[in-house]
Amino acid sequence: MLIAERDARTRDLQRFFLERAGFVVEFADDGQAAFVRAVAMVPDLVITEILITPVDGLTLCRQLRAHPQTSAIPVVVFSLLSAAARATEAGAHVFLRKPMVESTFVGAVESLMAAQPTHGADPS
Amino acid sequence: MTVTMPLHPGPPDATPDVLNRMTTGNAEADYILGGGFPANSINIIMGHPGSGKTIFAEQLMFANAAGDRPILYFTTLSEPLAKVVRYVQDFAFYDETKLGTQVIFEDVGPQLARDGAPALIPLLETAIKTLSPSVIVIDSFKAVHDLAPSVAERRRMVYDMTALLSAYGTTAFLLGEYTEDDILVYPEFAVADGIVEMSRRRLGNRDERYFRVYKLRGSQYLEGAHAFRIAASGLDIYPRLVSPKIPTGYEPATERLSTGVKGLDDMLDGGVWRGTTTLLAGPSGAGKTTIGLQFALEGASKGESTLYMNFQENPTQLVRTIRGLGFDPDEVQARGLELVYASPVELQIDSIIVDMFRRIRERRVRRVVIDALGDLASAATDPQRLHDYLYALVQHFAASTITSILNLEVVSGATSGLSIQNAMSYLSDNVLLLSLDGDDRTRRRIRVLKTRGSAHDTRVREVEITGAGLRVMSQS
Repeated sequence: MLIAERDARTRDLQRFFLERAGFVVEFADDGQAAFVRAVAMVPDLVITEILITPVDGLTLCRQLRAHPQTSAIPVVVFSLLSAAARATEAGAHVFLRKPMVESTFVGAVESLMAAQPTHGADPS
Repeated sequence: MTVTMPLHPGPPDATPDVLNRMTTGNAEADYILGGGFPANSINIIMGHPGSGKTIFAEQLMFANAAGDRPILYFTTLSEPLAKVVRYVQDFAFYDETKLGTQVIFEDVGPQLARDGAPALIPLLETAIKTLSPSVIVIDSFKAVHDLAPSVAERRRMVYDMTALLSAYGTTAFLLGEYTEDDILVYPEFAVADGIVEMSRRRLGNRDERYFRVYKLRGSQYLEGAHAFRIAASGLDIYPRLVSPKIPTGYEPATERLSTGVKGLDDMLDGGVWRGTTTLLAGPSGAGKTTIGLQFALEGASKGESTLYMNFQENPTQLVRTIRGLGFDPDEVQARGLELVYASPVELQIDSIIVDMFRRIRERRVRRVVIDALGDLASAATDPQRLHDYLYALVQHFAASTITSILNLEVVSGATSGLSIQNAMSYLSDNVLLLSLDGDDRTRRRIRVLKTRGSAHDTRVREVEITGAGLRVMSQS
């Protein structure tokens, strides 16, 4: 899965908890890089912070929805901002507010992956 | 979380329900904090050794030990883990079934002593990744801070710790023997969301302890110093009495009440208005206690819930006096009179006031006598604090339409009671002055100095005390 996140501590925790749950993760520094990478690799899931200028996470959401290669990829917005409604409006499947709590974060990712028709199996 | 405040007359403004809050395990502390600490915040609990920091943190830990995320307590380089665990078992909040699973104590002192302050960060990282703690207590964080050899290294360590604790959903408490001066100097205070001070000062043979919130982001907390004491249950905190918020529709009562003193009601133009406060000043032996008791007995005889707070005579002595006035003590107590004796020597004004309001609320008290204010003053170490309390007290009585008599002993020629008298004279609705006159000081007299909303008798009147109580004579 692809994660657009700038904060080093959050990245470290995301990588640790998701890899422990059996997922393979890749990071991008901002929305622009994340979109380019998503089109190229078509990940199973995109997780994005909103605050990742110059292209923010909500714009990334909309770009992913609009592009034929990425329109079906589920997106989790995981942000410092209280922006659940805006995230939903932008096309996110799930909104989670920071800080991270492992059970909530990994649980949401696992639920979303399980709901995907081609990726619902055991992540390990 | 719903916060109830069982021991205080009124809550502060409710904190907007934006932040999830975590209970301290102490209803009064939660009340002061505006509902508890914000979840996922970083807080400093500061105070000198022995001030109660660790007990406060431990009570909070056990109160929040539930669910699948444990509470983690790091002891660093101040108190050995063996001592911490040994003494926590003495408290009622201790629950050994939670120890080791939901409450985890860990001694990280050796690693810190060996590797220095930066070693705290990987210790925290490992703890977060392996235990997923919902609360992390570091006791003492100042000891870790002091291990850093330079200001730059301290700042880097605090920055790294803050970044880690902010990224992960945990509520952190940094305990330390900080002083107020440290707040401006130590970087952890700049990043802290909450700062609570626990202080202790010696007063004669006893100690006074205070709980104070310096900072709590996103919260409307109760400012000022709140007295507390350490008890078997943890901390008994007495939130500072503040003036009530009188409802917009508040209007003074329009009913007059008898004082129970023959002739005095006439001097007062028909009695005192319900909900007013009457200051009754005079020297010892002039009849203050008798008038106060008659006022209380009058209320009880009409079935009004009445509280008689006194600091000089124990209940046995008061019962004897009541019997002497011709009342059956059991009957008047059954009809609503409660006699409370508190020793001002042993208590702080805060605990006395909180106890009084608890009784007022529980029994829906309508009349109160405080005998006497001077004793209450002796339980207050700070004159400003006393005046603030008395002001708030009178305001609360007015807002709750409680009718009260506050006795004040005034010694002729002395100035000790005058500052209270001056303060209370303008706060009180009615002021009565008793005196002992004549060469042998046996002529008791009374004068109404002030009333609000009454055409009172301005003359000095003779009074006499008989077996039936005190009465105002018809001639001056």
